[in-house]
Formats: sequence, C-alpha cells, structure tokens
Amino acid sequence: MTATPVTQVPTRPARARRVPLAAAGRLLRLELRRNVMLWMLPIVAALFWLITYRPAMAYPPLWNVRAMTMQTTALAIFVPTVVGVAAWLASREARHGMTDLLSGTSRPRWARQLATWAATTCWALVAYLGCVAVLYAVTARQGAWGGPLWWPAAVGAASLPAFSALGFAAGALRPSRFTTPLVAVAAFLALELTAQFIHGDHSPWQVSPLVAGPWENGADPGVATFYPYLPDLPIVQLIFLTGLTTALLGVLGLPAGSGGRRLRRSAAALTTAGLLAAITATTLAGTGRLDPRGMIAIPALHNPADNRPVPYTPVCSDTPIPICVHPAYSVHLPTVTAALEPVLSELAGLPDAPVRINQTAATYRQESGNGVSISRAGPAMSDTPPTLHILLPIQLARPVATDVLTAELWTNTARDILYNVIGGDRREKTEAQQAVAEAILKTSTLPPGTRTAAAAQRFAALSPAARHAWLTSHVAALRAGQITLAELP
Amino acid sequence: MNVATTELTRRFGRTMAVAGVTLDAGPGVYGLLGPNGAGKTSLLRMLATVIPPSSGRIRLLGHDPDIYRQRRQIRRRLGYVPQNLGFYPGFTVVEFVEYFALLKEMPSAEVHRAVAAAVERVGLGDKAKAKLRTLSGGMLRRVGIAQAIVNEPELLLLDEPTAGLDPAQRVAFRALLRDLGQRATVIVSTHLVEDVGAACTQVALMDRGKIVFHGTPDELTARGVGTTAAGDAPLERGYSAVLAETRS
Repeated sequence: MTATPVTQVPTRPARARRVPLAAAGRLLRLELRRNVMLWMLPIVAALFWLITYRPAMAYPPLWNVRAMTMQTTALAIFVPTVVGVAAWLASREARHGMTDLLSGTSRPRWARQLATWAATTCWALVAYLGCVAVLYAVTARQGAWGGPLWWPAAVGAASLPAFSALGFAAGALRPSRFTTPLVAVAAFLALELTAQFIHGDHSPWQVSPLVAGPWENGADPGVATFYPYLPDLPIVQLIFLTGLTTALLGVLGLPAGSGGRRLRRSAAALTTAGLLAAITATTLAGTGRLDPRGMIAIPALHNPADNRPVPYTPVCSDTPIPICVHPAYSVHLPTVTAALEPVLSELAGLPDAPVRINQTAATYRQESGNGVSISRAGPAMSDTPPTLHILLPIQLARPVATDVLTAELWTNTARDILYNVIGGDRREKTEAQQAVAEAILKTSTLPPGTRTAAAAQRFAALSPAARHAWLTSHVAALRAGQITLAELP
Repeated sequence: MNVATTELTRRFGRTMAVAGVTLDAGPGVYGLLGPNGAGKTSLLRMLATVIPPSSGRIRLLGHDPDIYRQRRQIRRRLGYVPQNLGFYPGFTVVEFVEYFALLKEMPSAEVHRAVAAAVERVGLGDKAKAKLRTLSGGMLRRVGIAQAIVNEPELLLLDEPTAGLDPAQRVAFRALLRDLGQRATVIVSTHLVEDVGAACTQVALMDRGKIVFHGTPDELTARGVGTTAAGDAPLERGYSAVLAETRS
C-alpha cells in the first residue's frame, strides 16, 4: 500500500447519468465474463445432443417434426438449468456475505440484479440458439422441404428469459444454497405437470411453452406442410412468456431497498402489466380450437390468410399407377413405392382404376377429452383424370420408422387402394371382394378352411397376367357385388 | 461537517446497539475504539447507509440519507469496508474493484484508470489478474480497501480494516489512511490502539452504545497517566482508564 497521492478521480454523478448505457454495458460485460451459465454450456450442449438432437435426427427430415420435437424436449433441458443458475447467481450476495458491502453502493439494487439476470439469460440464449442453429442446419442439409419453422424456436428462446427471471426472483427473495436445487426441480416438474392438465383444444394450459401444437398429437408430421404453421398459439405463448418475464423482473424491484420510490413504482407497474399480459395470454389460450389443418387456432388472433394451402409441386413415382406425394415427404417415396407397387401393378389399366394416386392433406377433428380424429380431407376419388387421394400412415400424428411404415402401407394403405378399385361404395365387402383382396395382397387374414380362404388361394395361384385379364373383364361386376365365390377363377 | 449525527440510536430487538451518539466529523482520520459489542459496527453501518437509525438524525456530506435521492448522492461519494468482507471468488482483483466502481456510478470513461490506481495503491498491482479465491486473507482485506477507495470517497468508513494484515502492510496502510484523511473524512473502527495512535487525528471511544470519550490520541493517552490501568502502551492505558472510569 502506498500513501503516494494519485491523480484525483472525482466522481461526477451528473456525467454518470449522461452515460448510463456505457456503464451498464461494462457491468453486463463483467457479469458475462464471470457468469456460471458459461460453465454450464458444455453440459447443456451435451444434454441437447442426447435428449433433443439424437431423437430428432431419428425422424425423417421434416421441419414440422424437428421443430416441434425441439420445442418440447429442449425446454426440458434448458429450463431446469437456467432456473438453477439464475437462482444460484441471485443468491450469491447473501451466500458470499456481500449484502452490507453492496447495500452501500449508489446504483439501485434492481439495476445490479438486472445486469446479473441479463448476463445469465444472454448465455442461455446463446446456447439455445446455437443448438437450434445446429439442428436446423443439419435438417436443411438433409434436404427438408420448405423453410425452417421459426415459431417453435422463438417460443423456446422466449422461455429462457422467463425462467431465468423465475429462478432469479426465487434466489433473490429466498437466498440460500438450497434454493437452487429446489427451484430447478420445481420448475421442471411444474413445466411437465402443467402440460398434463391439458384436456382438449380449449385448455388454457396450452399456454405452456412445451406445447407446440395439439398436445395429444405431439410432434405431428402431418401438420404445417400442406398448410402454413399456424402462429396463433406461439403468439399467445410469446405474450405469456413476455408477461411472465416482465412481472418477475418487476417483482425484483418491489422490496424496500431495491431503489427509489419512482423506481419501485415502475417495478410495480411492470409487475402489473406483466401479470395482465400473462393472464390475457392464458385466457386466449383457453379460447383455442383445433383447426382442421391440425394446429391450434386462436379466434382473436387467427389470420384467415393462414388457411390458404402452401403451393407445391408433387414428387411422383415411376410405377404403373404413379404415386405422387408432397415434396416434404419425398424421403418416404421409395418406401411407399416399394410397398405399393405390387398392388398397383395388378390394378393398372383396370376399368375405372385411378391413373394416379395423390397424397392429400389430413383433416383434424377434436374428439372428447384429448382425442383427435384424423382423416382424409375431401373425397377418396376425383375424376378427370381418375385420381385416388390417400393419407400416408406418417400423417396420422406420429412419426414412424421405415419398417413400421412399410408394414402399415401394406396392411392399410394398399388394402384401401385395392378396395377403392374393387370394393365399391359398400362398407361391408362381399366374400368375393375379400377373396380377391386377400389374393392380391398375399395376406392371410381370412379364417383358414373357409370357402372364402379357398377362393383366395385359388385366385392367388393364377398368374399375374391371368388375374389381370380376369379383373379387366369382371372388375365392374366385382365392384357391384355381383360376383360370387364360385365365379372366381 | 462531512458527518453530523444527533442522538443517534439503533435498536436490534431488545438490544440497544447504539444509544444516542452525537458526533461531528470533518476531514481527517477518526479512530473508533471500543470493546466487543460497544456498537462500533452498528454505528458504521448506519453511517454507511446500510441500516437506518432507530431514532436520531444523520447528515452525511451535507445530505440526508433518509431521502433516497440524497442517499444515492452520499453513496456515490462513500467508501465502506465492512467487518465481514464478502467477495466473489471467481472475480479477479481488477474485476472486483471495477464492479464496485460501476456500482458507485463512476463515469465509465474514468473507471479503468481509477481501478488501476486503487489496486496499485493497496499494493496489489502484481495480483491484479489473480482470482480472489487464490488470495490470502490479508490480500483480500486490501482488495476490500481498494474497492472502498476506488471512487476517491469523501467519506471512508473502515470496520477493522487491518485485521489479517501483516506488520509491514499495517504500516503502509496507516500511511494510506493519513493520505486519504487530508481531504476526506476517514472513520476507522478498530481494536488495535496502535493503529489509532499512528494514523488518527481524532479518536472516539465507544462503550455500551455511547461515545464515552472524544478527543485526540494524545488526550486519550493523558487519561491513562498516573493510573493503574492495564496496557502495554500509553495509549492502551488511556483506553483502559477511560473504560474503567466509565464503568465504575
């Protein structure tokens, strides 16, 4: 220590007030350099890879599936981490015995806390956006059709300031070393549990940032391809999260000692405004309804322009009857073609057989509770030229693996196509129709030893050319239900 | 007067920690002596605007700390080293001092130079980039002093600042105090009477929440002359004599 006088460093409050941003910037930079969240980044990145990236990559490169999976699973990683870190940093003044020392400084406590919170949130956002960038870049490189869906990423990003503020408020108001684990676990459980309260499309709990669409459908490969991603629910979630962030940051400024009367009034105003925004958003979420296009629509926010289909050029197979799918699902076309080609070969050229099979959009309807029915939008067949419209199994609100897809295509889609040609309009199929279907599909769903099973075996034993010739001349009668088992060759 | 208190009291539950202290102090170094529990720390915390008084009046640097805007003005010109100095182990010396410079709302452009000067002044220039967790207790104490003086305070409050300092550091610290006391009011609470003798122009002795002696170190020394009061040094004997007289 030296008593040598140094150059006077006068404090100039007036000037300090003129350049508050520069000082705030320095404070933020200091907090950024020494923020615990920085040390958590490798852990968060590893968890993201394990819990979000790997499962997402197991799905085909569809923006809807990847984005919706990411919104739900990434929050399960980021929320407890950011809440815990924020609580830990908020309680550091008390844990390190700095309360007296810091109380004697002129900058309001609120400003000091906001700098720490902002630094924590900045690192969390950097980590999150980095993870999103990697996931989206890989998805784009895999040739996913269309563009990235930004709404799920925006909701995820907006969740971080909110949960950071939650952790920070808890740590600041109850400073203890136990606050961190308690509040991190509580936030995780609360987030996961609130989603379990969702029953149907009118549930206000849909405001939870975990929810990327109708909760019961999960990451649905059938939405946001034929039609745009509906931003209604994300907008409500963003309002909610912004309100929550504002309210919680406002709460930090309420206790005596946080700042002057004006500052505390501002904090109270922020808290009130934030709460109002959060309540409004929750109420709006409660007015949601399942849109026929598979997303949650909020009437007060819904833009009719979002109901217009997204134009696309289908991708078609080189099969006797071309199968045309939406380009987003082109990755599945080889599987679809391989599974359906045997049936299409049998049907090609038959009178009234379709000359083309088109993948069509699904339509969604809310059932009681959490049930959702998904069916084909529009009629199965359209004329000029005769085109059959089908749903692929992957449009039924669940991503499926290739082998499962093949099995479902064969047992369900191929049978649907076949019955559309030979089955007519009747719901109940005749024995002859069942036997022909069994023979062509080479399945054995009929009870063995029955007359129908015997007829199916007989018909299956014919050469493909003989079967096709017989079908060409008899398909109209078969469709009309006028062929008996005995008449089958 | 930089410090003017009138009948200041502070009560913690049923305990009266400070029981009517009236004190005026201008520029200079003031030693605050007293046994454990005398109320020194409570008085300093009130002067540091950390806790409000239960009753009485305080004016610091011409402002009323009861009024938020004025309290903020005071805090910009205040330096304070509490008895239990906390620190953030992950911060470096420079970062810690810079943190306080920013919290004291120093002009941003001046912060860098002021931090470097404060760190040099407490003899930690070679440890400027060291993390606080790697420093010894004495060095941490000096970091605490650096943060207190970074804004060239007009009122500097030091609660047991020499605890943990080795003899050479204490000598240097006394010189620093004398230097700071030329333009600022420095109030040093300590148990070490030799610090007071060496560095202070005025001394106050507290006992049971009251100031029982106020004068120069020489006057305190004189109170012990010719008595059987305990102490190895004349100032210690004066200290003991005043306390014994008060309690008798």
